Amino acid sequence: MAEQVVFVIAAAGALISGVLVVTLENAFRATVALIVTLVSVAVIFLLLAAPFVAVIQIIVYAGAIVVLFLFVIAYLGERSPPGMEDRLAPYQPFAWIVVIALVGQAGIMLANSDLPGLRDEPQATGDIGSPEAVGRAFIDDYIVPFEATSAILLVAAIAAVLLAKRAIKFEGGR
Amino acid sequence: MSGVPLIWYLLLSFGLFGLGLLGVMRRRNPLLMLLAVELMLNSANIALVGFARHWDNTDGQIFALVVMAVAAAEVVIGLGLVVAVFRQRLALNVDEMSSLKG
Amino acid sequence: MEPALAWIVLGLPLLGAATLAAWPTEPPRSMTRVLGVGPIALGFLLSAWLYVQMLGESSDDRLVVSRVWEWIEIGDLTIDVALQIDPLSVMMMLIITGVGSLIFLYSTEYMEHDRDYRRFFAEMGFFVFSMLLLVLAANFLFLIVGWALVGLASYLLIGFYYEKPPAVAAAKKAFIINVIGDIAMVIGAFILIVELGTLDYALVFEAAPDGLSRGAVEAVTILLFVGAAAKSAQVPLHTWLPDAMEGPTPVSALIHAATMVTAGVYLVVRTHELYELAPFASDLVAITGAVTLFLAATIAMVQVDVKRVLAWSTVSQIGYMIMAAGLGAYGAAMFHLMTHAFFKALLFLSIGIVIHGLAGEQSLDRMGGLGRHLKLAYVATAIGVLAISGVPGTSGFFSKDEILASAWDAGDLGRALWVVGALAAGITAFYMFRLLLRTFYGPEPGGGYGVHPHRSRWPMTVPVAVLAVLSLFGGWIQVPSGWSWITDWLEPVIGPESIPGQQAEGVTLVASIAVVAIGAGVAWWIFAADPGRRSRLAGRFAATRRLLEDGYRFDPVYQQALVQPSRDLGDYLYGRFEPDFIQGMLKGAVSLVRGGAIALRAAQDGLVRTYAFVMVAGVVSLGALLAWVVTR
Repeated sequence: MAEQVVFVIAAAGALISGVLVVTLENAFRATVALIVTLVSVAVIFLLLAAPFVAVIQIIVYAGAIVVLFLFVIAYLGERSPPGMEDRLAPYQPFAWIVVIALVGQAGIMLANSDLPGLRDEPQATGDIGSPEAVGRAFIDDYIVPFEATSAILLVAAIAAVLLAKRAIKFEGGR
Repeated sequence: MSGVPLIWYLLLSFGLFGLGLLGVMRRRNPLLMLLAVELMLNSANIALVGFARHWDNTDGQIFALVVMAVAAAEVVIGLGLVVAVFRQRLALNVDEMSSLKG
Repeated sequence: MEPALAWIVLGLPLLGAATLAAWPTEPPRSMTRVLGVGPIALGFLLSAWLYVQMLGESSDDRLVVSRVWEWIEIGDLTIDVALQIDPLSVMMMLIITGVGSLIFLYSTEYMEHDRDYRRFFAEMGFFVFSMLLLVLAANFLFLIVGWALVGLASYLLIGFYYEKPPAVAAAKKAFIINVIGDIAMVIGAFILIVELGTLDYALVFEAAPDGLSRGAVEAVTILLFVGAAAKSAQVPLHTWLPDAMEGPTPVSALIHAATMVTAGVYLVVRTHELYELAPFASDLVAITGAVTLFLAATIAMVQVDVKRVLAWSTVSQIGYMIMAAGLGAYGAAMFHLMTHAFFKALLFLSIGIVIHGLAGEQSLDRMGGLGRHLKLAYVATAIGVLAISGVPGTSGFFSKDEILASAWDAGDLGRALWVVGALAAGITAFYMFRLLLRTFYGPEPGGGYGVHPHRSRWPMTVPVAVLAVLSLFGGWIQVPSGWSWITDWLEPVIGPESIPGQQAEGVTLVASIAVVAIGAGVAWWIFAADPGRRSRLAGRFAATRRLLEDGYRFDPVYQQALVQPSRDLGDYLYGRFEPDFIQGMLKGAVSLVRGGAIALRAAQDGLVRTYAFVMVAGVVSLGALLAWVVTR
């Protein structure tokens, strides 16, 4: 019972803030809406017996990535310049159609799915979400993706340096 | 029933995904487009973790963590690009960045 | 008997020609002479040795087919690389290499001033090879191969002076008319394959009486004769031969008098077993020969270019041979073929001495009285004229009379053709004496000769002398009512042949002497007796004269009916069809592709949002498709 209530609240929060993320004009406000969405999703993770992932979600996503966004928005100016007319405006309905079609397909698929246990009560789970469990899984079974991910992060860091360097030079720096 | 069946989580995931998709197709400011992309990534994570619990398995969570790391890297580079483009005195309009046309 | 000899004789000229052709630079003259004349002369000696060997064999053993290799095997059809060595082919070999050697020797001097010395001998050697292949072939395939190669050699040699447009045009004309014959022969060969399943002479002749229906054998023989008519310049495919005189005189002597143009006669004699089964075709052959010999004789009367006179006379004399072959007198036809080779080559070579001496002059209007300067040429030409006219005792007398006598004995048609032949013999005497008298007798042309007619040296004079002797005495090997050495020799091939009867021989003898006397007499009266008479009489019969000079207008008719429409078609295809239709199709294809590309390019508008939309739309479509497939 409690689980369902918490789920509904968290889901509603995620969806509503999601709507705000995609509709707010002010970039700052949109980013803040994203924070709300991320926190709601973290709650969902907790419900799903993934405490470690939930915490990482808060620290990394809401804590680092969103901060990055905020910095860049501050640097570039929060309001999008007026710019030209949206030349793709007439085609808006197509976008709606396509998204509704996709979600609709998903819905139909779920409705007809024979996946065992899809609509049942969730079973009790063992220890799958604790840091120890995640750590063991990484080291024992998924060491390669682990290392690959570190490589990706390294590349991203170098790329960031390079991109920033060019920017500085362009502005007359060394 | 007092628990939340898997299908509810999946429905939530699809809903968030659709929202993110709409955002990608409608936003012209590249920064806001990236926000919508984050939304989509999160919806994927929900589905992954949901299935992890369904199969009583850590694998889905591992996958979700990797997704998060990659999302971080992607945001870094994406924002760097946006900054670089801005430096070129281009307006922050994704429609302007169309040199790959044709 | 050693069959290898035949292969060697066949291969030597090809080897010589190939060596000359492949030599990186113009070889030294002496080398060209050796490589040119050597193979042919050697070939003659080897042919003579082969002949001697054959004499030692009994009559039945004289027919040998030397098979080297089974080349084509398709289903039931087998075609070998093989040579037929029998009396007929050996006789042809001797004529080709014998007369050929003399002409080659002559050419070493005649062509001395020409810069393309090597090319001449290479092409001539190639010709001899092709001609030998034609006569030695043991099946229709190689006959046709040799036939076509000989046509090629003729094209090359007629167009030897390729910088002269008339020569090029003449070469093309000869080749095109020959190709018509080639096509007919190939179709004939196809019929043989379909009906009899083989192209081997021996097998075809054996199977023909039972295997070929009357219609089929008539068709085959007529088609083969079309080929023969084209090659031997019979009406209506004769128009190329007078033009072929554009080639050097030795070429005219060898190819267009002594050997190539006789290929048609050889063909009819070789395939006589088919013609014996096809009376309609045989009659057609005989009539064609007769028409040709008469028409050509009349045209020769008014020709002013000396070589053209000889060209038309060749057409006419071959007409005699063809007529004889059509009437079944194969021995007589081959006899005349041989004597004609002697005296026609003689005539060409001695006239060549005149042309050479006058530095290229060929017109009767600018000749006269050369007897004083060129004595050998005068005597030689005179001998040739006597032979061709059929003056008693000469070779031509015996062979022509045999043809006419055989005609007399060959039924009603034969008798009618006898009349034609006899008349034409008189005309022949007339125009040949005209040639002789206007060139060598009488006054020199007004103003004399700008060039002092220069004497020729031994390579030119010796062959002429040899041929003169042959023309005078070569006929004694077959004397009517006496011995018939040629017909006997050819018996293994042509079967036993009836000798003309006493009545035929007698009538012919009287008639031929009469017409020769009249013809020669009239010629003397017009051209020699009174110097001015010729010009006085020239004005009479102007319309007839013009008709004859134009060769009965065959050429203009062909030009209108065949040549010009072809040209127009070519122009149309090149000027309109090609650019509008074919290029248009290409352009259409290109613009189609380009239009498609431009249309598709609209999807690449460079806008990220569009790409996102397209991706999602794609996913939705695929999902729907998968769902539909899965639920089936």
